[in-house]
Amino acid sequence: MSDIQSEMRATAKQLLESGEATVVIGWEKGTMPYNSTPVMIRSAADVDKLIWDEYCQQNLSTYLIDFIYTEDKVAIFAKGCDTRAYNRLIQDKRISADKCIVIGVPCSGMKSAKAAAKLPEGAEVPMSKACKECRYPNPVVFDRKIGQDVTPWCTEKDFSDVEAIEAMDQDAKAAFWKEQYTKCIRCYACRNICPACNCTNCIFDQSASGWQSKDINASENQFYGVTRAFHVAGRCIECGQCEMVCPSDVPIMLMNKKFIKDIDTLFGAYEAGLETEGPVPLSHYEVSDPEEFM
Amino acid sequence: MKTIEKAKLDSLFAQLAQNYSLLVPVDYNGLTQFAPYSQVQEGVSQLYLDGNVTVSPKTAYLPQSEAMYKFRAQGKKLAIEEMAGLDKQQVLFGVRHCDTKAIQCLDKVFLDEKFEDPQYKNKREQNIVFSLACNNPKATCFCESMGLDRAHAEASVADVQVYDFGDSFGFEAISDKGKACLDKLTGLGETASKLPDQKPQTLKFDVAGLPEKLKDMFEDPIWDEYSFKCLNCGTCSYICPTCHCFDINNKIRGEVGVKLRTWDSCMFNEYTLMAGGHQPRAGKKERVRNRFLHKLQYFNEKHDMSLCVGCGRCVAKCPVNVDITKFIRQVIG
Amino acid sequence: MSNNSVENFEPKILVFACNWCTYAGADLAGTSRLQYPPNVRVLRVPCSCRVNPQFVIRAFQRGIDGVLVAGCHPGDCHYTTGNYYTRRRFLLITRMMEYMGIDPKRFHTRWISGAEGPKFQQVVTEMIEEVKAIGPNDKLRDDMKVEVKAVETNE
Repeated sequence: MSDIQSEMRATAKQLLESGEATVVIGWEKGTMPYNSTPVMIRSAADVDKLIWDEYCQQNLSTYLIDFIYTEDKVAIFAKGCDTRAYNRLIQDKRISADKCIVIGVPCSGMKSAKAAAKLPEGAEVPMSKACKECRYPNPVVFDRKIGQDVTPWCTEKDFSDVEAIEAMDQDAKAAFWKEQYTKCIRCYACRNICPACNCTNCIFDQSASGWQSKDINASENQFYGVTRAFHVAGRCIECGQCEMVCPSDVPIMLMNKKFIKDIDTLFGAYEAGLETEGPVPLSHYEVSDPEEFM
Repeated sequence: MKTIEKAKLDSLFAQLAQNYSLLVPVDYNGLTQFAPYSQVQEGVSQLYLDGNVTVSPKTAYLPQSEAMYKFRAQGKKLAIEEMAGLDKQQVLFGVRHCDTKAIQCLDKVFLDEKFEDPQYKNKREQNIVFSLACNNPKATCFCESMGLDRAHAEASVADVQVYDFGDSFGFEAISDKGKACLDKLTGLGETASKLPDQKPQTLKFDVAGLPEKLKDMFEDPIWDEYSFKCLNCGTCSYICPTCHCFDINNKIRGEVGVKLRTWDSCMFNEYTLMAGGHQPRAGKKERVRNRFLHKLQYFNEKHDMSLCVGCGRCVAKCPVNVDITKFIRQVIG
Repeated sequence: MSNNSVENFEPKILVFACNWCTYAGADLAGTSRLQYPPNVRVLRVPCSCRVNPQFVIRAFQRGIDGVLVAGCHPGDCHYTTGNYYTRRRFLLITRMMEYMGIDPKRFHTRWISGAEGPKFQQVVTEMIEEVKAIGPNDKLRDDMKVEVKAVETNE
């Protein structure tokens, strides 16, 4: 890891000194050993803040949106999931590639900061769930790359958790989701960290429109959950950030993965964020789509 | 000091639940918060006393969503009915000292201004706070630095002081309300034992002169540094024990409706959005700056106390680790 | 209300009908004097693809017991391709609603053309019967249980 870290610092330094980039976004040490956190570096003197450890979970691609109206040329460090997020943002035309430099960093899976916070110091911390199921640990797009590619530890999508819910009876399903969404405090952290949730004006920020009341109850919260899941359907890159940031531990990915599973079975296997061209499942159709509504 | 063995805690709760509504800290499917004791009895939640809860007990004073009044409208005619307050006294067991201090902050807003908020006042009068001293602070706790007394809860808020002696809890009445409540309890032991040992807090720093320093820092580049990674989510404000901003909405079904008071967050776009579309706090920088300055400067200037009580919730739960303690240390230098 | 007792239960069914086919189909059912129970509320939309999944959830939130989304047959869309998008979306949403615990009998999507008055009659009749049999929907409901006194008549 430390080799990658020193190479990251050297790359950042070179980019900033040469003027190729005016901003470098990477990770720095956080308050606790388990919260490595995003950092913006503007001066070559600060590159030693950059770190690379097993908690560099945060997806940095979403920060690129903050620079669309500035003159900056932005370099970001990007793991496999970050590069898929980057592709998604390009595909959604939210950022332009010529303002960005992507420095790919192969990743061997990040540890769960939430688990670490609960465990005693020194205990073995498990890998976070989304990373366990990751099939693209290596950057899928990059301008430069640091470190050696790793062998993916997962080749198939794992839908066992979704299937477990599907196997429940109707009342149990409803009770499960009601229980989970009773916890939601609607802080919108899941939305704000999500690379697919990149709308300039979100439906949930328009309470006057009457769509989403600010009332907090299981029904309103589920309305939020399902609607957001549908809005990112076909665009979710399964980085699992939504679940990681949720202060209430709502299993948000269970909902996203349900859509991914159904898209795969109904319309053919699709992986979001691997390419920047081509149709997205829900923005196109085939005449030969399954017919159930006759 | 009155005591009860931890093994007999259930009987204490049963007695309290008989005379009062009882709220206890629980773990509900991974979310820790204050909830009715009945949830523990029914096995829906587990009692959680290992540390402070994620969602602060301000929910017992300023619920996330609360009906202010209800109405019926027929054409131009209108009937309005006040909502009934708590009709029964309510015991909050295990509120930490930081959260009692936070309620004192809320008092300044809801009781000490020109207007007394009737709903807040009702809850303030009906709630009986059993405040538990923390022996094992978390790595993110910094209440001592914010001037709190770890041995004694805020006396204007707490009614009974609770100490954790390992195998037992000790109780000392602070207010008359607390004394009356303790007097009703049976099966308590008596001890003159000294206060339990408290592990020192690891997160410690000096805050002297902070509001004065911040006065001249409105245009400081430090705001860019701290706001860059902020997501503008509402996690910090919603779990903060002192954040008290709210929005007022209608919930209408046909002729009838309720006026709802719901939490709001200064991190959200709609919070400062004006009619006509102007947004005075357009971005992360303006919003983070406002939140930090409100906590550390504006409230000090108005009420002579800090609006940050050092509970450490935002430090622990911020998705991107925007750390107010790091900020304070950097400002103090 | 009688709605809460299962014996006298009269379900509320909301039909999102596309302007060009299903609405005309419903109209044909009417002018042909085809009988169907009066439990349906028809909401006309320009195209079935106008129906946003949020409409469906909101309907269940506010006390609707069954939702029918209906539009032109694929290939017949007034806007050429709208209902192909409807089909994709509602294949997913049907499954999601089931995943959330809504009985699949409560939520249907059907193609009903302007000439299919009898089909409209048949689809809604069947749906009403099915929903009647399973009773009122309590899932996702966002009820407001408040009693407010009557408005006084003298101002």
